Amino acid sequence: MSIDPKAPVPAPSLLKCCCLDSSGRDGLIARRTLLATALATALPAAPARAGSGQAGHVFVLDSRDATVSVIDAARGEVVKRLPTLREPHHLVYTPDRSEIVLGDSVGNEFLFLDPARAEATRSLRVSNPYHLMFSPDGRWLTVASLRRHQIDLYRAADYALVHRLAAPRMPSHIAWSPDSRVTYVTLQGTNDLIAVEAETGRILWRKPTGDTPAGILRAATGELLVANMGEETVSVIDPESGETMRRIRTGAGAHNIFPSPDGRVLFVTNRVAGTISILDAGRFAVLGAYGAPGAPDCLDFSPDGRQIWFTQRVANRVGVLEVETGALVAQIRVGRSPHGILFHALA
Amino acid sequence: MIAALGEAYVALKQTIFEHALLPALYALGLMAFEEAAEEWLDFALLGALTVFVSVAVCLPLERWRPVEDHGADRGPIRTDVTYTLLSRLGLAPLFAFILLRPIEAAWAAGLARLGFIPPTLETLIPPLRDAPLLAFLAYVVVLDFAEYWRHRLQHRLGWWWALHSLHHAQRQMTFWTDDRNHFIDDLLAGLWFALVATFIGVPPGQFPLLILLTRVAESLSHANVRLEFGRIGRYLLVSPQYHRAHHGLDHAEGRHALAHGCNFAVLLPVWDVLFGTARFGRDYPATGDLSGSERLALGSWWGTQAEGAKRFARALIGRG
Repeated sequence: MSIDPKAPVPAPSLLKCCCLDSSGRDGLIARRTLLATALATALPAAPARAGSGQAGHVFVLDSRDATVSVIDAARGEVVKRLPTLREPHHLVYTPDRSEIVLGDSVGNEFLFLDPARAEATRSLRVSNPYHLMFSPDGRWLTVASLRRHQIDLYRAADYALVHRLAAPRMPSHIAWSPDSRVTYVTLQGTNDLIAVEAETGRILWRKPTGDTPAGILRAATGELLVANMGEETVSVIDPESGETMRRIRTGAGAHNIFPSPDGRVLFVTNRVAGTISILDAGRFAVLGAYGAPGAPDCLDFSPDGRQIWFTQRVANRVGVLEVETGALVAQIRVGRSPHGILFHALA
Repeated sequence: MIAALGEAYVALKQTIFEHALLPALYALGLMAFEEAAEEWLDFALLGALTVFVSVAVCLPLERWRPVEDHGADRGPIRTDVTYTLLSRLGLAPLFAFILLRPIEAAWAAGLARLGFIPPTLETLIPPLRDAPLLAFLAYVVVLDFAEYWRHRLQHRLGWWWALHSLHHAQRQMTFWTDDRNHFIDDLLAGLWFALVATFIGVPPGQFPLLILLTRVAESLSHANVRLEFGRIGRYLLVSPQYHRAHHGLDHAEGRHALAHGCNFAVLLPVWDVLFGTARFGRDYPATGDLSGSERLALGSWWGTQAEGAKRFARALIGRG
């Protein structure tokens, strides 16, 4: 598919999708009305535009170009490229939100960014950081080493390594329990989810999820949600036992899960289907899906929640979707294989 | 122009990945390797471009001033074409990746458990951090140095020569000969690279056009063309004349006999100069390996692979 960044982008309608309803029965359910109703009550109408119209920096990790593309969010233009060492994949705020830390897996380091100035400030050598996440209380940092099959737990205050666990195979994405006691990591190579007690580094359980589990989210309702990339499902998992309670059908290559800023809906990127599914955050019912070409991966939201900014891994672009209409209003050229993305609002 | 070509490349890659490779991985239950597959696709597309540029550059040169007429029997050259396509379009590297990835992962994980984190040239030489292009060029130099010594060992160790002699068996050397290597030899090259990467990290991958240029230069060094780079240029880059001397039937004669050859450098002749293995001349000797068999010289891809494996096994048990 050839994409011209200057060409007008057709506004795709919300897709109908085949899904399981809350009782587990298969059914083809048109969710357009339900979704439109839900969103219309939450969001005021907004005109389509390339940028968000809101001041901010959007940080995009160009994993195969070893750069961070910094997009001026208001204008929707790349204004800066920050060099990294080799292969950055994921990024998060530090617990006090004063810095962004990104994991450069092949470069074996954390790179810290000043989000307001959009500049690198310092680096720290660590082993193969692919995905990373701080605990809710800010005491711990979990790092998944996808290539070295290791899970590392660092003390967040000084980034001292506390536990290193062999995790066969391919630890992928991370979540935390709300009390910061347990960290959960998907094991892409063995189709499992593993729960580790932070203080002791003890494995609490390891349970099968689905084919090639990737993204994971601890839902506000308490369950763990795991996107199974080798299937078209999201597993709903009991965080205490690790047992899968049910599966929700989203789209082929379900990859990662993100809550909307207001917490009312969840968005699931589907790599193979080229869609972003919308789930009700309470019952996990599928409300619909947006067309999202370019093998969608990670996403973030404009501060007002009206736009989704998502990375298009094989299109070397960031797509911007209007949440209300599903219109793809812009595709911004960044570096090769864009992966992690973070929208930092500026006052 | 370059921007337009870049966009065309992205569009082609996106089409192949989204509509062929990704659905295929999904259907085969191989989505765990989806990121590696994207990397492989880049490798294969760049390899295809490298073949195209190598043909565009080398073929006219070979027709302009050929060293020798290879006659009507082009069978051995067709074998080299097969080697090149398998290598540069990513099939041979794909199998090497499948075999080497677990070894590399276990090695790196073991070092991590010991508290060793491989550095990069940029962490060893901090000013390189702000100059990615300079860092890339530094890697070219260091890795070429490592390749020089691997090449020396290929000629020095009997069991390794048993494999590498497949490369030297070619009597009709052309730019296609560059990738004529035994599969086990390619695996050893991968292990050698992993060892070097332990101490200096892997090079930056964000300069595909420069990678392409180095690979075209390696092809050119094997071309059947009367071409050398002059009094200064011959010290800067390996020329077809310089590398032909390495492939010459007489390469083990004279003072170079102790080193089992001369002109081992892959890109930069300076290593031969520094270590006393340079032979600058103006001659274009016949190529081949007198110790090799007819099957190794004239066989198909399968034939040469089988013969190479047999020679390797015999060398290992001391009967080679």
